[in-house]
Amino acid sequence: MRSADGKVGAFLNTCRHRGTIVCPFKQGRQKFHVCRYHGWAYDSSGRNISVTEEASGQYPPSFSNQNHDLLPVARLGSYRGFLFASLSADVPPLEDFLGDTRAFLDLIIDQSDSGEVEFVPGASTYTFDANWKLQFENGLDYYHFATTHSSYVDILKKRNTTAGPDAGFTAEPEGEQEGQGSFSFDYGHAVNWSIKRTQLYGRPLGMDPARLDAVRQRVGSTRAKWMLRQRNLTIFPNLQVIDILSAQVRTWRPLAPDKTEMVSHCLAPVGESAAARTLRIRNYEDFFNASGLASSDDNVMYEFCQTGYDATTAAPTQGYLRGVADIGHGESLHTRELGVNPSEWSFGPTSFGGETNFHPGYREWRRLLQHAAGESV
Amino acid sequence: MAANTTMQTEAHAFAAATIFREARLLDTGEWADWVAMYSEDAVYWVPGWLDEYTTTNDPDTQVSLLYHDARRGLEERIARIESRKSITALPLPRTVHQVSNLEASETGPDEIICHSVFAVHVYDPRVAKEHLRHGRYEHTLRREGSTWKIARKVITLVNDHVPTVLDFYSI
Repeated sequence: MRSADGKVGAFLNTCRHRGTIVCPFKQGRQKFHVCRYHGWAYDSSGRNISVTEEASGQYPPSFSNQNHDLLPVARLGSYRGFLFASLSADVPPLEDFLGDTRAFLDLIIDQSDSGEVEFVPGASTYTFDANWKLQFENGLDYYHFATTHSSYVDILKKRNTTAGPDAGFTAEPEGEQEGQGSFSFDYGHAVNWSIKRTQLYGRPLGMDPARLDAVRQRVGSTRAKWMLRQRNLTIFPNLQVIDILSAQVRTWRPLAPDKTEMVSHCLAPVGESAAARTLRIRNYEDFFNASGLASSDDNVMYEFCQTGYDATTAAPTQGYLRGVADIGHGESLHTRELGVNPSEWSFGPTSFGGETNFHPGYREWRRLLQHAAGESV
Repeated sequence: MAANTTMQTEAHAFAAATIFREARLLDTGEWADWVAMYSEDAVYWVPGWLDEYTTTNDPDTQVSLLYHDARRGLEERIARIESRKSITALPLPRTVHQVSNLEASETGPDEIICHSVFAVHVYDPRVAKEHLRHGRYEHTLRREGSTWKIARKVITLVNDHVPTVLDFYSI
């Protein structure tokens, strides 16, 4: 919540008195939060401003020395409007944690002349009956697209035979080598990206040539070129930011080993045209979420996997080897263009869908588990 | 007054027949007949929720759960399932639509607007799990020559915390 002096805070939603949730609403505007149980009250900076009938409460002297404020999360940081919270204080500074993944957030944020992005109103929440790591992997997995989403690809191909300039298709500059690749970063993050001459879908930035020219002037032709390429960013452990036919921010929360809750938002640069915004919304609804024509297939596929894992006598799966024979280190054409320094990279033909970009997330997951168990790592 | 009452009774009976038929065709998977009930430029809209009380009200500036401004969007969804390429339909969940609390009013010589409520029981034989989607329908029926078509259907999904898949047959 935002305090009277404009500072953003994130707090545990639990009254210091008896643990009751203090705010039962998803969103809103309120100067004070009063616990409905016994009336303890907090201001919008989380400070306790009233303990009901404290004077007549016969509290021990030590009570007045105790802090009664709402408990802030252990760490809260922001990067260009994206807020990141950690329940543990044992985490690196946000800038170090994000590292070069920031270049990929910038490629979305800088599509706005004012350098701002916003959620389009109308978030959705859904669940699937499978482990959260299925979502983690899938967001980095180009290998599955042609098979899992073949029914959606059929629809797109049919539509594209009649698509006009309003569909927002763009072309790669002359001489660009087609292909698909990924970068792996520290702390479990990774991004995969695609350079294709023939695209399956257009994008809002592509439907307005004048605006695209203005963006190109502002950010340079290299970054503008990357803004028009599919990019799927995973920030470990539970955030994916996707910029394809629309832009999506999705987060997840494990409810059980075999149940995950997803929250999904349509992300948009502030200041785009009304027509671009509507195309963004239609494309988003078309693709994403339990009601979309692509993500719904992913959700069911996660459940297929979770059920398949019941075959506990099966050998370990063979799903993490594609791309292992050719992992890149150091600089490449693509790292130089973006000014990033990934720990590993991969690049292959347009059919390439490497699985090495899952590895950093799994390494980080193992490190955190071992760290929590007190093992030296 | 009497004539008006007769007219409204006829409108109600006609609306009930239309909406119950739609529910049956969805449950029996007779989707070609189902989608033929819609006009070519029909709007099919499932708004999203902005907060605990308010649904989205402008599909061009807010995100809906589903929004199609032509029958073609529904036809694409049907073709996707019938292609047997989408695993959301392998196997396809079984559904039972229950529709009630129907109110219908003839808002013009060629238009009837109806409000009703629905409960759709969805059973997924793949995992032997079931769930219930419930909410409100608002249908706009419009005369096109000698036939009536669904020109607009707005589905307010009350329980929008959706398990796995939401498609036209489950609401």
